[in-house]
Amino acid sequence: MGAHVSVPMYRRTLAARVGLEGRRCDRCSAVSFPPRGACGQCRGRSLTPVRLSGVGTLQAWTYITAAGAPPEFAAQVRRDGGYHVGLVALQEGPRVAGQLVDVSDPEIGQPVRAVVRRLYEEEGVVRYGFKFAPHMGEQLPAEGV
Amino acid sequence: MGVAVVAAGQTRFGDHPTSGVKELFGAAVDDLLADAGTAVDLDRIDAAFVGSLSCGQGMQLGNFAPALLDDAGLPPVSALHVENACASGGFAVQQAVQAVASGQYRCVLAAGVEKMRDVSGDKGRYWLGISGDTEYERLAGLTFAGVFALIASRLLHDGAVTREDLARVSVKNHRHAALNPKAHLRRRLTVEDVLAAPVVAAPLGAFDCCPTSDGAACVLVTDSSIAAEFTDRPVEVAGWGSASDSLALHSRADFTRLDAARRAADAAYAMAGVGPDGLDVVEVHDCFTVAELVAYAELGLSSIAEAGARLRAGEFDLGGRLPVNTSGGLKAKGHPIGATGVGQIAELFGQLRGDIAQPERQVPGAEVGLAYNMGGSGASAVVTILRRAAD
Ligand SMILES: [Zn+2]
Repeated sequence: MGAHVSVPMYRRTLAARVGLEGRRCDRCSAVSFPPRGACGQCRGRSLTPVRLSGVGTLQAWTYITAAGAPPEFAAQVRRDGGYHVGLVALQEGPRVAGQLVDVSDPEIGQPVRAVVRRLYEEEGVVRYGFKFAPHMGEQLPAEGV
Repeated sequence: MGVAVVAAGQTRFGDHPTSGVKELFGAAVDDLLADAGTAVDLDRIDAAFVGSLSCGQGMQLGNFAPALLDDAGLPPVSALHVENACASGGFAVQQAVQAVASGQYRCVLAAGVEKMRDVSGDKGRYWLGISGDTEYERLAGLTFAGVFALIASRLLHDGAVTREDLARVSVKNHRHAALNPKAHLRRRLTVEDVLAAPVVAAPLGAFDCCPTSDGAACVLVTDSSIAAEFTDRPVEVAGWGSASDSLALHSRADFTRLDAARRAADAAYAMAGVGPDGLDVVEVHDCFTVAELVAYAELGLSSIAEAGARLRAGEFDLGGRLPVNTSGGLKAKGHPIGATGVGQIAELFGQLRGDIAQPERQVPGAEVGLAYNMGGSGASAVVTILRRAAD
């Protein structure tokens, strides 16, 4: 598998990237996100889709410059100089990496919530996906992000 | 059935503008023959395993290993390309060792090669990312520098290590590489140099990251019962182990640990019947400075909390209690991906035979050495323990 995420590959993951759809294990109830073929806890293969809140806590972060960015993100680095990426523990249990938006000084432990943003553009197709913004405790829309 | 390493060779790691993969592989074979002398006849090999990520463009991808053997004039034996990202070389060695241990073959060549310097910066970052979790980590904007930066970020936040501890890994490995004519980056650095370098993925800067290098390495592995036909000073392969893990950091129970390394090391220690206290010299996979500090913990050389203090005290320096990365490591010897793990074995082979040409780089009287080679951010790991054969 190459690094390039083709348009068909991307389309197959839209439910997770834009709809924050994870999978709940039918055996041990652990939630996996991003979706996996087997439960991350007990390796059970019987899984049911579940929509996540997108709310979580920042566990680690980095600031990526031109030298550390995958080429898909070169345009973003040219425009902004770089971007923050965080590792977020979602309140349903799983952890996921995502870019941080609306934040200049991230702090480990701060609450964040998922927002859907443009990730990058390739082959003339804009790729949308989740990023994370500071969470001030505001009411989230009922339909999720 | 015992297994021995009887000869080793490697190119200089770095820029080789006039060499492709075939020329690099051939040069490593030539170096092995020049070092070993007339007792080694490569017509005796029964098989070959060649580690490579094949990260260049416009090079042979299919039938990679047969193409290299043919070009180098080696016999047309069973030849297999081994790929496990940055651990491809270490796994190629392990395949050769296991092929001999199984009794099927008596003499096997393990090699690794990578051609990286032809690749432009953007394409290089494209290729370097292909061994990570492409669907989610990469689409968050992370390459391996970013992934290891997340580990470093958490360890710094928890007070387990300091920014200066990270820098000291680089300073130590550059100091060692300055003594190694095969190393890519032979410039000595200070802690201040490392801290002042441009940011790649905060908190990691340019001097926390290994370079991309061209290079090749090879070792000849035989059944111990015939080792004396090749050399009077064979090195025994005392133990080995390997393991895998989730590709993405976010899928791991503790994202600051490299658990596959710990499990690979445990298996190798158990087979060799030695523990961390029995080691005299170690080569570890330091693709980023923080990876070496975590490696100390996974290999049982130090707890992560004590790693910084031990490093400051010089325990892992040449001349210290347990020298680590006497070659300069990935950080400064260089990281031609597929060649790296084989180059580690070549370094240990030289150290355990007392053959290192630079006296200040030789660990005096070293008898037991360990090599740890990791793929990606730790989704694959392989550990090999070598022991100088009894006189
Ligand atoms: Zn489960």
